[in-house]
Amino acid sequence: MIRSLQAIQAGRAFALLAALFVAAFGAAVVLLALDQQRVIEATSRLQDQTVPEIIRFQRLARNLEQLRQEGERIFAVSSHASRQQSMFVVTLIASHPSILEHPGAAQLARETEQFLGEVVRQSIADDRRPATRYDEWQRLAARLGMQVDDVSIQGINLANNDLVVATSAMKLARSKLMMALILVGVFLLGFMILVRRHLIQPLQQINLALSTLSADRPAPDFKPSTMLEIQAVEESILEHHALLIQNDETRQVLEKLANKDGLTGLMNRRHFMQSAEVELQRAQRYRRPVTVAMADLDFFKKLNDTYGHAAGDAMLRAFADLVQDTLRQSDLVCRYGGEEFAFLFPEIGPAETQKLAERLRARCDAMEVSLPDGRVIKATVSIGLADASECPIEIALKRADEALYEAKRLGRNRVELSGPPVPATDSEPDMRTARLF
Amino acid sequence: MLAADDAALRVLVLENAPPMSFRDEFGQLTGFSVEIARAVCHEMRVNCAFDVVTQSAMLPTISQGKADIAAAGLLETPERRVKVLFAKPYYRSISLWLAPSGVTPGQAGVKVAVVGGSAQDAYGRKQGWDMHPVATHGDLGAPLLSGEAQAVLVPMISALSLQKNEAFRQLGLATTVLQAPELSGDASFGISPFRPELQKEINAALDRIKRNGTYDRINSRFLPFRVS
Repeated sequence: MIRSLQAIQAGRAFALLAALFVAAFGAAVVLLALDQQRVIEATSRLQDQTVPEIIRFQRLARNLEQLRQEGERIFAVSSHASRQQSMFVVTLIASHPSILEHPGAAQLARETEQFLGEVVRQSIADDRRPATRYDEWQRLAARLGMQVDDVSIQGINLANNDLVVATSAMKLARSKLMMALILVGVFLLGFMILVRRHLIQPLQQINLALSTLSADRPAPDFKPSTMLEIQAVEESILEHHALLIQNDETRQVLEKLANKDGLTGLMNRRHFMQSAEVELQRAQRYRRPVTVAMADLDFFKKLNDTYGHAAGDAMLRAFADLVQDTLRQSDLVCRYGGEEFAFLFPEIGPAETQKLAERLRARCDAMEVSLPDGRVIKATVSIGLADASECPIEIALKRADEALYEAKRLGRNRVELSGPPVPATDSEPDMRTARLF
Repeated sequence: MLAADDAALRVLVLENAPPMSFRDEFGQLTGFSVEIARAVCHEMRVNCAFDVVTQSAMLPTISQGKADIAAAGLLETPERRVKVLFAKPYYRSISLWLAPSGVTPGQAGVKVAVVGGSAQDAYGRKQGWDMHPVATHGDLGAPLLSGEAQAVLVPMISALSLQKNEAFRQLGLATTVLQAPELSGDASFGISPFRPELQKEINAALDRIKRNGTYDRINSRFLPFRVS
């Protein structure tokens, strides 16, 4: 039923189910209550009406029996006074409303009264007469006896009606109760299945998806859910995943922007220092050659003053392009500040680096940069090199800088290599120890 | 018997009306009506104090609220119904005309003995008969034996006790059942009109003793047949 619908709110779906359940169970309860009411009515009728009625029949039977006994006494006693006494009781019983209201009993009582009245009257005249009519009395007494039985059974049978009603209502109630219990069971089962399929399983999938959600992994693949709330959560997760990817891309862009020099597109000094540090450590760990360099455009201030800052910037950009074009892919280069550039050359020693630097110097020397106004500017570069394979990056760059000053001092537009490394200050104790031996 | 101060209910009973209401050999009140009244009080879980009155004083006492229950078989007539409340009937009665053969109800020159204030008394007066009222059921035989009255109009159960008297039987009176609505039917306890709440309780108690066998035991103890 739920599946056939496109989508449904879980709250509404379960409210609908609960309402259906309440309605069905309520109907069952009402039906049961009706049966119970019938049983109560039948039993209270039995108690309040039928039982008194049964007792009334028992009393009627008792009076008929009394009639029979008084009749027997009339035949048995010899005293006329006793006969009259019994006859008087017979008259009273035969006239009593309790006998008169039962037609069969009333008829028989009247007959008995007439018969016994005759017998008593005859006995006044002739004391032996009663005995002659005793056979007749026996037949009447037998009929009285049977009437007693009939009335008793009639009375008892009054209870049957109420009992049949109560029993049938109880049986009906039992089957309805079973139906109600089955109904409850089916509803609970259905409810559990629906909860499991539409809430628990999607929640488990959502939990799994959330615990593994990452920009590195593909977006979680949800089976389409029919529950709007679940759909909303799943959509949020997918949106969140897309956002994660977007954030990652943004982060990468920002990282690049943060690491670049805005003018030349080369690394900035901070990023160079980080990368160079890593590269240097790697080289030193594996005892690989590595060389650093510092370069400075000659007379750059003069170029700026002569042609303007835009020309200076154009020269810096042209030099950066030249550097990237000339150097190897693995070489690191950054704009160190102003017109100053820093380099790290992995896997090559000072001699080979010198060749590379020389080629850069030469190409810079040959380069002509056209300005937008048609003028052409030129610049030379001085480069200082230093072996970095055995000292920290700061020391190596300082030495390269010293070499650069040496190149400037020696006339610019040239490449100078720093001399052999000056022993570090922290190695002095070792040397003293060496002298001790 | 005087009403005890702590008695919850004051119950009026007749005496000298065997077998309905009389004193036994120890002087204790007993009889069908008295014992039914006792059983009802017991079922209602109340103390009852019994006051003996005559038939003629019974209804006025109840209707004035001087007592709570009139424990005698009162036939429910329209005149009585406006004065007192009636409980459910506890037996059904008929009235008998006992007179020598040939003396019929309403015959001129016939004095009819009745218990003063009884339904039979009221019926006879209404018919314009010459009535001879006596104070108690036990006194009914005397006027006939002395010749002051020629007939007696009595409830069936009083007739039963009259018949037990040898001298009375010797009169050889004929028995006629008088089928008048005022003279037969349901006999009930009277209830004070100032205690209407008693009616329901007394009825429930009567229902219970009729169901639990108390009623039938009392019936068998005092009367030769079932009178309900």
